[in-house]
Amino acid sequence: MSIGTSDATAAHEEVTGPVIEGRSPWALAFSRLRRDKVAMLSLAIIIVIVVVALLSPLFSAITGHGPNEQYHTANALTPAGLPRGPSGEFWWGTDDLGRDVLVRTVYGARISLLVGVLATALTVAIGVIVGLASGFLGGIVDTVLTRFIDVILSVPFILVAVSLVSIVGPSLSITVLVIGFFSWASVARIVRGQVLSLREREFVEAARSLGSSDSRIMFIDILPNVLSQVIVYTTLLIPVVIVVQATLSFLGLGLPPPTADWGGMINEAQSYYTVAPWFIAFPGAALVITTLAFNLFGDGVADAFDPRTDRLISQ
Amino acid sequence: MTGTTTAQSQDNTGSDEPLLRLRGVKKHFPVQSSALIRGEQEYVHAVDGVDLDVRRGETLGLVGETGCGKSTLARCIARLYDLTEGTIELDGRDISTLSRREMRPLRREIQMIFQDPYGSLNPRRRVGSIIGEPFAIHDIGSRRERKKQVQELMELVGLNPEHYNRFPADFSGGQRQRIGAARALALKPKMLVCDEPVSALDVSIQAQLINLLADLQDELGLTYVFITHDLSVVRHISDRIAVMYLGKVMEVAPVEELFETSRHPYTRALLSALPVPDPDLADRREQIILVGDMPTPVHPPSGCRFHTRCPKAQPDCAEVVPPLEKAKDDDSADHLTACLYPMDPDERLSRARATVADSEIVADDSALGGVS
Repeated sequence: MSIGTSDATAAHEEVTGPVIEGRSPWALAFSRLRRDKVAMLSLAIIIVIVVVALLSPLFSAITGHGPNEQYHTANALTPAGLPRGPSGEFWWGTDDLGRDVLVRTVYGARISLLVGVLATALTVAIGVIVGLASGFLGGIVDTVLTRFIDVILSVPFILVAVSLVSIVGPSLSITVLVIGFFSWASVARIVRGQVLSLREREFVEAARSLGSSDSRIMFIDILPNVLSQVIVYTTLLIPVVIVVQATLSFLGLGLPPPTADWGGMINEAQSYYTVAPWFIAFPGAALVITTLAFNLFGDGVADAFDPRTDRLISQ
Repeated sequence: MTGTTTAQSQDNTGSDEPLLRLRGVKKHFPVQSSALIRGEQEYVHAVDGVDLDVRRGETLGLVGETGCGKSTLARCIARLYDLTEGTIELDGRDISTLSRREMRPLRREIQMIFQDPYGSLNPRRRVGSIIGEPFAIHDIGSRRERKKQVQELMELVGLNPEHYNRFPADFSGGQRQRIGAARALALKPKMLVCDEPVSALDVSIQAQLINLLADLQDELGLTYVFITHDLSVVRHISDRIAVMYLGKVMEVAPVEELFETSRHPYTRALLSALPVPDPDLADRREQIILVGDMPTPVHPPSGCRFHTRCPKAQPDCAEVVPPLEKAKDDDSADHLTACLYPMDPDERLSRARATVADSEIVADDSALGGVS
């Protein structure tokens, strides 16, 4: 008895050849993203910044200046001890201690990107796990975790950061931990909300009726359905984290001197901005361009995951 | 009080054990009340004491209005819900109190097809991995063997096996239900619980899927519990039909017997809503229009659940819970009715007068504790 013949629609589509592959939602989003010019330009800028950060020793080699070396020559500082503007030797000028602003800005990109990526990864990892557990398991787990989220969101972040750093001392890892610890709550909230609606869908019941365990349902059935939101949020979180890191450095809570980082450089430059505008302009511009590029790229990613974008573009 | 002893006269008739045996099955859901001060927890009596047998290889149709508890009963049978009370025996083994871990090997025996062809398939997974999921969960076969089995299943349900790598969004509603059926059949179950599998589909597609399910039953020797509110569908596919009202079974009978000599006034009213193609016959036929809505399952009526809307309710209908038993002598042994005043085939329900007191008509809160 051939059951297959009763279905007229399925059988006659073999013209396309043996391999019939549905395009995954990811592939569709990626193809939309590739058509978004602003996002692609932002991505190009981000790639340039990443390459520059990776190759920062090369800048040091070309100019012959180390990032923390102080030059007391006539080219570096005026006789009065003030920074000198851009010149053949110091392309972006010098700072108040006679250091090369270009080399320091380039090295600063490493810190910003490193903290941006690490702290965001930590934030998202905690947020996703807490959100999944809280939304899917419900009950007492959910009550405890949501109250904890409320507490985290109501703690004044800068005050805690200031006191914490003054106790344990500034370092890269404490910066990452502090940012991660205070940012996951909003990710967890987004994920939890999504999971709450997803777990009522019939495919979760179907998985259960097949004998799936809770953790399998959480990570194999539900997680892929929240991933697009998480990715959008992640790309928009990186610039926020970079700015927060710069803010902490500006307040003297970043990395211990003489390490070059953008927030710290802006802090050092603020008393010289009338006599040495380049000193504040270059790290400032680097910070603005980086965060802008990440933000625009994040917007592009958000649009790419929104199925309505196709229609908007074609109009 | 639940009628466990009286209910199943068919037990002693045949030598074959029923595949599935439900006894006094109850599922109550706590009502989320916003008032914190309110001391007493209230419950929705979704399924409230169901006794049913499902025999090997048969199709038991489960019909009833929206909200009568038939989907809840399906989920209790598939053990997606824990029972509040009662027992479910599969193949003579009590599965009603098994934990999820203990239940896992038994999942191979009893599977479910869901109502919503859009909600029941994970939109982020490829069809091959959806149908192969049971193999992954139960750790059966290597990757290559699984793929082969999945493609055989796709062929079995009338899908092109080459569409293995597509996503659910690439398929129509009817094709998605076929995917759901393939997934349910992957573990070669003995029993399929179909929760309104065709009600979300176009009528032309409904027929295709019902024929597919019937063919699969012949080929694989499956037993179905087929839930629907569509009487013509259930008449076509079922061997026996159980009529549910407010969490209880009102009448069970072989299909033709139910359609010809239904005993319960509710069944009669339900059947009178079935369209008749012959206009002359339709004119002569009795149309029974029930008054009022179904009472809330939070405070179900006392006695017979149906007495508040029954055209021939008597005072004792509000007090005595009628057992599910053989109603008249000329009924077959399979025909059970839960009614104190079962109807004769030529009795006209529209001429009946209810003599139940008006105060009884309104669901009585105080009766809540006494009903079981």
